[in-house]
Amino acid sequence: MNRTVDCMTAGELAALGKDHIPGEFQSSRHLIYSSPATLAFNSPGAQGFGVKRAGLAVPGSVMLLVAPGCCGRNTAALNALGYRERFFYLLMDDTDIVTGRHLNKISQAVREVVESLREKPTVVMICITCVDALLGTDMERVCRKASKAAGVPVRPCYMYALTREGRMPPMVHVRKTIYELLEKRPRKRTAVNLLGEFSPFMKDMELYEILRGLGVKEIREISRCRDFEEYLSMAEANFNLVLNPECRPAAEDIRKRLGIPSIELTRLYQIDKIHRQYELLGGALGTDIDDQSWYQRAREKVDAFGRKYPNTRFAVGEWLNGNAFELSLALLRYGHQVPEIYGTVTPEQFVYLRKIADLSPDTRIYSNLSPTMLNYDCGEYPADVTIGQDAAFYHPGCPNVPWNQEEQPFGYAGLGHLFESLLAARDGEKITGGSV
Amino acid sequence: MKGLLKYLSPFAPDQSGAASVLYDMGGLTIICDAGGCTGNICGFDEPRWFLRKSAIFSAGLRDMDAILGRDDRMVEKIQDAAKKLDAGFAALIGTPVPAVIATDFRALGRMTEKRCHLPVLTVECTGTRLYDEGEADTWLALFTKFAKDRPDGVYEKGAVGVIGMTPLNLSRVDADPVIRDELKARGYGPVYCYGMRDGLEVLQKAGEAVLNLVVSPSGLLAARYLEKRFGTPYRMAYPFCSEELKEKLHAVDGKRILVLHQQAAANAIREEIRKTSEAEITVGTWFLLDEEFKKPQDVRLTTEEHLGRLVKEERYDVIIGDRMQKRALPDYEGAWLHVPQFAVSGELEEAAF
Repeated sequence: MNRTVDCMTAGELAALGKDHIPGEFQSSRHLIYSSPATLAFNSPGAQGFGVKRAGLAVPGSVMLLVAPGCCGRNTAALNALGYRERFFYLLMDDTDIVTGRHLNKISQAVREVVESLREKPTVVMICITCVDALLGTDMERVCRKASKAAGVPVRPCYMYALTREGRMPPMVHVRKTIYELLEKRPRKRTAVNLLGEFSPFMKDMELYEILRGLGVKEIREISRCRDFEEYLSMAEANFNLVLNPECRPAAEDIRKRLGIPSIELTRLYQIDKIHRQYELLGGALGTDIDDQSWYQRAREKVDAFGRKYPNTRFAVGEWLNGNAFELSLALLRYGHQVPEIYGTVTPEQFVYLRKIADLSPDTRIYSNLSPTMLNYDCGEYPADVTIGQDAAFYHPGCPNVPWNQEEQPFGYAGLGHLFESLLAARDGEKITGGSV
Repeated sequence: MKGLLKYLSPFAPDQSGAASVLYDMGGLTIICDAGGCTGNICGFDEPRWFLRKSAIFSAGLRDMDAILGRDDRMVEKIQDAAKKLDAGFAALIGTPVPAVIATDFRALGRMTEKRCHLPVLTVECTGTRLYDEGEADTWLALFTKFAKDRPDGVYEKGAVGVIGMTPLNLSRVDADPVIRDELKARGYGPVYCYGMRDGLEVLQKAGEAVLNLVVSPSGLLAARYLEKRFGTPYRMAYPFCSEELKEKLHAVDGKRILVLHQQAAANAIREEIRKTSEAEITVGTWFLLDEEFKKPQDVRLTTEEHLGRLVKEERYDVIIGDRMQKRALPDYEGAWLHVPQFAVSGELEEAAF
């Protein structure tokens, strides 16, 4: 019986280098195994935010999905999250997907949707899929026409899975789309936007206090906007902080259209790197940021875990709020072991991979999307605790911290809460989502 | 407006039906998509995905694969997977992407077969049709390709084939013990539950069955094929109404009843109500409605407006069906008995009863 599993050690991968990633580790070179562990790759909406849910981040918006029925099938899963009244569908038939005649129906469909609602929506998002990607549909024109017919703003949302590895993947594009309704307003020196996520950051994230300490009075996030007017006031920001690299094109678009500059920060779990990042932020803003109290609190939590459970063996997945490789490196640097990482190896990860290889060359790295993960057997490499929903799937019965909560971790607060959760998991508590 | 859903969510599509049939067959199932269709299948339409493994993969098509028609790359990927996994065959399932670019599935199947040294079947789904049509095509393709010829008059004593055993039809995950027990109690021999625990090996013996039971119209195409090829008679049956549901059906108090479900289930519900009531009962379904098993008043529904018009004009006082459809009938004031239909709402019967 064939039981091959595609994996390599960190040492082997680092030796090959970022320009020689083996085909087994390139998702474009093999079939994609969409196991329960990696479901979010093909169906991000099933576990968090996909294009459809993300497109509705604008307060008061509704969405019309224009696609074959299959593209909207799993949207019913969002009903339980309160989206039942916000999704509508214009289903394509076989003739539509060949001729593109569905485009002539969109204006009428938008009008009917708007008329069926008690309150006029702030915007109708038209979500289109692979079919229109291949037909080369000019959705901007279609949306302008529909907007005129229905008397509401209409914007396109591109759920083009075909372009996943392109320059503008769907989740990058939708991050841009949701800010496109912002119109130029006078800027306020005391207003800042946090861009990047569709749900709020942790309430005790130190960045809020740091910004307030710098005189910022209004810190806006799209997920915290209570209404459309508050959303529109995001155009008043003095600058944007980009906390997810997938939001970079959105920030650039905002800079071009509204003249708001941006600074990008990375979600990190290495405490010295978090500190360094705040030093650099202070430099960019022309001030010093004193982060010692937050640093100490996070450090205490990291150390408390280490004292109670030294040399813990972690299996780290990638479907979590963080970068699997950066997080693994952090754990190694805190003195623990990481025998296994389930990840997607890209050239960008080599900055971490090389350091992992220095500290733990035998760490096994699995190609998470590889069909051979069907053969994976957790018995070969036991772990004390797993991080990530995918890692939990591979090690059933092992204590797990999914760390995929909607409330977004960042900075020292994120690090501290992670270690609180890890401690609780090792103590035997069941952790769902993220924090204890 | 045709195609516009203001109240309902889309029902399970044809590729989900195809994948569901193949789930327990022991082959490599390749969804020819960019990923989203596979995500829908694995994350929503296939409840077994979280219970036991099956080799379902996305071809991971990208824009240039589609634009340039790079089928050879997909075949290479399948070849690589086939080398590393145990599989008796491979199945290629279509989605909107190959439908738009008019992929020649027969040629693709032949090419894959040749390169991978595996039997390959293809199912040309488009994502625009409903699950039962995808199932019907897949059952037919499986029996056509894999059912073995048998010598005249040789049958496995009392063996019954059951076609249509998928969670999408039954709204249950593992319902095979129900039908095995039922048929055993009636004196039948082995039960071939194609697609639910019973894989390719059992399917190859299809010609040895003395009877085929079809639990959804999606199985009829294959049943008729098997009748023609082996002379095996078939019947439509749905022995899955739980005692709790039967009790509720016997208590239904109405003169005009509409049953919304797949045809085999809806017919079984009608027969159950008939035991205690003389009400006028209509079967309404969004899915296949076979002439041989329908009553004159039965209706195949096409749009939300169609359902609304039907209910208004026929003045039903009881509707039996998945409650998700209630949203499309805001003015309906009669009684509603909720019977989950997984292909409609994604709700399993276990959750309701």
